[in-house]
Amino acid sequence: MKLRFWTLLPAASAIGCFLALSWVPISAQDGSKDGKKKVPYPGAVRPTKAPPPGPPGPVPHMADGKPDFSGIWNAQRQLPGDPEPDMLPWAAALTKQRTENYSADDPEARCVPGGVPRATPYHVQMVSTPTLLLFLYEGNIHTFRQVFLDRKEHLKITEPLWYGDSIGHWEGDTLVVDSVGFNDKFWFDMAGHPHTTQLHIIERYHRRDLGNLDVEVTILDPGTYSKPWVQHRLATLETGFDIVEYVCNENNQDPGRLAGNTDR
Amino acid sequence: MNTFLVKVSGVLLLFASLPARSQQGQQNGPIPRAVDGKVDLTGVWVVSGSPDLPSDPDYLPDARKVYLQRKESGRKGDPEKACLPNGVVRIEPLPYKIVQTPKLVVMLSEGNTHSYRRFFLDGRPHDTDVEPDSWNGNSIGHWDGETLVVDTIGFNDKTWLDSTGKPHSEALHVVERYRRPNLNHLEIAYMLEDTQAFSKPYSFTRSFTRVTDRDLREYFCAMDNFAGK
Amino acid sequence: MEHRRVVLAASLGLIFSSVPLAAHHSFEAEYDFNRTVKVSGIVTKVEWMNPHARVYVDVTDEKGKVTNWNFELGPINILLKNGWRKNSLKAGDQVTVEGFLSKVGEGLGNARKITFPDGRRVLGGSSADNPQ
Repeated sequence: MKLRFWTLLPAASAIGCFLALSWVPISAQDGSKDGKKKVPYPGAVRPTKAPPPGPPGPVPHMADGKPDFSGIWNAQRQLPGDPEPDMLPWAAALTKQRTENYSADDPEARCVPGGVPRATPYHVQMVSTPTLLLFLYEGNIHTFRQVFLDRKEHLKITEPLWYGDSIGHWEGDTLVVDSVGFNDKFWFDMAGHPHTTQLHIIERYHRRDLGNLDVEVTILDPGTYSKPWVQHRLATLETGFDIVEYVCNENNQDPGRLAGNTDR
Repeated sequence: MNTFLVKVSGVLLLFASLPARSQQGQQNGPIPRAVDGKVDLTGVWVVSGSPDLPSDPDYLPDARKVYLQRKESGRKGDPEKACLPNGVVRIEPLPYKIVQTPKLVVMLSEGNTHSYRRFFLDGRPHDTDVEPDSWNGNSIGHWDGETLVVDTIGFNDKTWLDSTGKPHSEALHVVERYRRPNLNHLEIAYMLEDTQAFSKPYSFTRSFTRVTDRDLREYFCAMDNFAGK
Repeated sequence: MEHRRVVLAASLGLIFSSVPLAAHHSFEAEYDFNRTVKVSGIVTKVEWMNPHARVYVDVTDEKGKVTNWNFELGPINILLKNGWRKNSLKAGDQVTVEGFLSKVGEGLGNARKITFPDGRRVLGGSSADNPQ
């Protein structure tokens, strides 16, 4: 049994290597002085290849006949080919500043909630019921998100939320999740793409087969983006590992040490 | 003055009569059943009365010393104050939500770390190879008639059993028995064993009332401590 | 054990060609890719906690001065998935750590590779090696 985990390593590293080779920075780093090795800004790295697919097999269904998303899923990964967002000038400037400071100000490094639609490198357990879809996050903080399928109207949100208010409905085999009521404190990604409290997110979840969950994310925020920003992502089923506890704030020594880009 | 008194007494009367009437009505409702015929524990629940343990477990000398130190220090080092997980035995006066499926029951917590516990009902044994100790331990469950029995081991020794600082060791073993005696009430009977901290097992029961007017709210304790900028 | 060593060697070869990507925090915000470190010493403490496990190592220099290094490892979930367990390293173990220096302080680093007392070289789950 123990051997099995060790033998996972080459696979894990092969995936790491594969991903590494298939991701390229969208802009070259200009901070190479004194012959230093060029390091791309982590937030400026975009995928050039799709991630390796999950295991094949039929889509499981719930008792009510709808697709069942229950399972442990690997991190959602963005697919190549999505255009860059059309940002208003303030947002473009802020994103550039955040990215070129090596994302040192990323709220995620402070163990605050990641918000929607931030993808983390950790696992997510989804639990499907006819009236509720649950996301149980392994990290970056070990929390949950609820999508209500038994409610057609959004709640009146007086205090903006990290995960918003999410309601969902089925369009055929696709679950459409509509979320509003967000605060403006979280970043969408390590690049630091910002948003305002006008944020409205539509996610479309389609379990293509047993091991592959296609996710289309549409970001609507006229305060930040001049037109809808659509992302295509893939989450793959994890069959060899359960989520474990992750208490981000237990020993977070990083915040005081995030120097950022010291070459500038 | 008289008018005021009448108004006050009228309000008091209203308060006195409402809970009794609604409680009776609620209790007469049928207990929901899940698709597999089991009692459905799904719902939002809040503890009735104090979340603390009703008495002290019989502590072994070393554990008693730790308990007394914590009490004398004014509960210094309370993990909950540092936004760390409460574990399984310690609960908050804020609501919890149970989401029940045939093979997995999830318990979401509004307060504390706004996190979750998972009870595996798929017949798997305890697995503490990967995580030998954790804040919430490793929970497996099964149905004993109308009662969901949840067995948990694999704890760390960092959590307190309640806000008064009651300690435990990594040997803690918790058996919870979940019952829904009627529509609006949930009962959890706890049995705690800890051969390293207790001289004998400790049992108690908590009652919960169903919350019907709201779902869990967002609550992030760590935010103030760690938001930074 | 022999099997493991072969497997690990193969993985190390593969993974070291990777471009840095990040996890809980951006690697480049905290560590300097251009300043590597390799030290040997005695483990004084292991913090098996998140967001990163940490290993503290007493390193003695030529003059006999002892520095207690604080090395960041990966998050627990990545380490577990890579085969680590809570007791993989213990206080008193003799180790060699290869990694990167912090941008802000002395004795701080990110552990990319660790040579265990039995000679196994394992990955530290560094965010330098684990893709976002």
